[in-house]
Amino acid sequence: MSKVFINGTDFMNMVLSGANVLHSNVEKINSLNVFPVPDGDTGTNMNMTLTSGIEYIQSKSSDHIGEMAEAFSKGLLMGARGNSGVILSQLFRGFTKSVHELNEINAVQFAAALQQGVDTAYQAVVKPIEGTILTVAKESAKHALFVSHQTDHIIELLEEVINEAKKSLARTPDLLPVLKQAGVVDSGGQGLVFIYQGFIEALKGSFNVDSNVMHHTDYQKITINKPKPAQSNIATEDITHFYDMEFFIHLSKEVHFDESVLRKKLAEIGDSIVLIPDDDFVKVHVHSNSPGDVLNLTIQYGELTRLHIQNMRDQHREIVEETNSIQEDETFNEKDETSITSVEPKTFGMVTVSSGDGISDVFSSIGVDYVLFGGQTMNPSTEDLVKAVESIHAKYIFILPNNSNIILAAQQVKNLIEDKEVIVIPSKTIPQGLSAALALQDMNDVDENEHLMNQAIQDVQSGCVTIAVRDSQMNGISINEGDYIGIQENQIVTASNEIIETSKELLQLMITEENEMLTVFIGEGMAAQHTDILVQFVEESYPDIEIEVIEGGQPIYDYIFSVE
Amino acid sequence: MSKIRFVTDSTSDIPLEIREKYNIEMVPLKVHFGQKVFLDAITIQSKEFYEKLAVSNVLPTTSQPSPVDFLNVYKKIYEEDPNCTIISIHLSSAMSGTYQSAVLAKSLLDEGVDLHIVDARSASYGIGVLMVEAVKAYENGKNKDEILEIVAKLREDIRIYFLVDTLEYLQKGGRIGKAASVVGSLLNIKPILSIDDEGEITSVDKVRGKKKAINRIVDVLKEDFSMTDVDMIIVHSNDISNAKDFSQLLKEQFQVHNVKLTSLSPVIGTHVGPGTLGIIMRPRSNE
Repeated sequence: MSKVFINGTDFMNMVLSGANVLHSNVEKINSLNVFPVPDGDTGTNMNMTLTSGIEYIQSKSSDHIGEMAEAFSKGLLMGARGNSGVILSQLFRGFTKSVHELNEINAVQFAAALQQGVDTAYQAVVKPIEGTILTVAKESAKHALFVSHQTDHIIELLEEVINEAKKSLARTPDLLPVLKQAGVVDSGGQGLVFIYQGFIEALKGSFNVDSNVMHHTDYQKITINKPKPAQSNIATEDITHFYDMEFFIHLSKEVHFDESVLRKKLAEIGDSIVLIPDDDFVKVHVHSNSPGDVLNLTIQYGELTRLHIQNMRDQHREIVEETNSIQEDETFNEKDETSITSVEPKTFGMVTVSSGDGISDVFSSIGVDYVLFGGQTMNPSTEDLVKAVESIHAKYIFILPNNSNIILAAQQVKNLIEDKEVIVIPSKTIPQGLSAALALQDMNDVDENEHLMNQAIQDVQSGCVTIAVRDSQMNGISINEGDYIGIQENQIVTASNEIIETSKELLQLMITEENEMLTVFIGEGMAAQHTDILVQFVEESYPDIEIEVIEGGQPIYDYIFSVE
Repeated sequence: MSKIRFVTDSTSDIPLEIREKYNIEMVPLKVHFGQKVFLDAITIQSKEFYEKLAVSNVLPTTSQPSPVDFLNVYKKIYEEDPNCTIISIHLSSAMSGTYQSAVLAKSLLDEGVDLHIVDARSASYGIGVLMVEAVKAYENGKNKDEILEIVAKLREDIRIYFLVDTLEYLQKGGRIGKAASVVGSLLNIKPILSIDDEGEITSVDKVRGKKKAINRIVDVLKEDFSMTDVDMIIVHSNDISNAKDFSQLLKEQFQVHNVKLTSLSPVIGTHVGPGTLGIIMRPRSNE
């Protein structure tokens, strides 16, 4: 089968198929993820990013490839999550720039669009690292340019692109030593190869291209993984909750609304939970088998409006309703904007990201306006960050991502917010975020605060203790699965099979004579006696240091240490 | 040149011997422990106050002098020196009605008296330093306008920073001003407090832990007085040893010409609580 042009419908089929192939391989991609942080969520992040792209493109129906690419790109940008997700969104932003006026594109134009995607992505990333998805995209696009002058057939071109992408992927360990150490190829690059494979399947017709059918099957598969904690990820076949509920709570002034509490309670009776707080309203999305319980629970927080409850087995109706609720969501936003502008904005606002109720409470107590749930296991999307920024009525908003995988997504927010200035303070750890938040002074001007907050990040040392998920060899340290590893900044510096041992070693590496303050954030479910032993150890070894112990409640990390 | 007399209030923390030396009149504010009323720095002294505060189960409250309290002092001065000029320097009007009482007292006097009431827009020795400087200028032959100018200039030149053990006292007494945003934090945050140009308490920075806070004050002062010789007054809530340590640390970092240590008066102590430590620094005076 030969194809010389691809139009809007072809493009939609390609991205649906690409998302589908990626979706089937999420776990495989996650298992490769060691760079920049071995947190195993690249696949999840790319999947969620694509899901958002799919939502947007499915709201359109056009043969015009420019229009379709634009919708897809907008969706990716809104849903961008994690470094790979952000880079993916930039690849398609560039692609879209190249094709946006075109009805259909040929091989040469396709190759040029890939190249423009690469250029855009490289510009968007502050410090492009080779041996990642960027390299795979770059080398395969370059090859596409070359091949596009030799063939008119897009399938042939794509086959060449995939071959080159695979070769490039195989070379990533040579470019990035951390990959070689772990004996893996780059996870984001692997994700891109899967997407390209989906493209070609769609064009070859091996993927079902009847667009109606695809709407259903593919849409459902993918949207099931809408934003929610990664640990609650479920596979399609495990869906037991088939009432899809979506509504708004108009928050009552008398009741204190705590997002994390509601999230926990909803998780007991449903899944696929999405909560989007927005000033007086919370948008709720949940799948449950007992819709009555969901309503009884949520009505405690205030009046419920715009209820949509669908039986997901009725697929046709689901799509119609989903489209309606997207439209309603937009009107809701417009209304909301007009209602806030009547009050003078404050000068500074802060948004941060944290998991762990204790840490989130600390952030709120020191003046952070919005604490998004997330971190290592769950990177909030650009859209989540945009929502948070929009909800704060201030002239300047500082975003403290507290994780290297969220920094890029945070930087995207700047492009999506018009009426406020968004400044990203690139905090990579919780201690850095806390120090930066404390450095903000209302009386300073914005530049001065930005400077002080960046300075604060430099003045604090971060450490954490967690359990190794696989055997490995890092920085000359042999680590066995199940060992407690001590991480200083982003380097594993010590490991042992004993939590106290690892914690002491790590603290000894972190604390020097000049330090004055140690803060210990205790992780979820940690035994108190461990902490007592550690505190006693520090008091005896470093009598001059002040110690503050906080029930952080964070998952994954048994301890987070902040030394300053 | 007409004679000039000087009046302050008890919150200026000028020790009795200096007041006597320079003939400075002092109008006391009041401290209330339950039903019992004390005259600040007259019927209750710092040492006794802080001991009482530690064991009392009611928190003390304070009240400003009444206009009549001022009126009596002003009348007494005019009886002694009928055509003199009075310069009366007082606690920040943003923190207390003391200044207001003095102004009311003036309105009760005959028109034509030469009485200048100055809002120090400060507290403790931040007022005291202005008062003492004014008296010294007078002794050096400066006239009224020159003295008022010197006071205004010095108000710009001095820096005040202080630390409190807990913000609870400032908050309960309603004097927390612009530092209110620091209250309620779940971390052991030490705000570096100061008094701004409007005479209101403000937080110039916030750090974790007392030691860091003290070091931060030293850093901030270094920015303010990089190459200058300075005079300084350390104020404390009856905790002389902490004050001495702080003084020692500062002497290592600055060219200190003149040092005083003084205890915060009971009225100020009521609003900042025990464990307070403060520094008032100024460029070295030309005496």
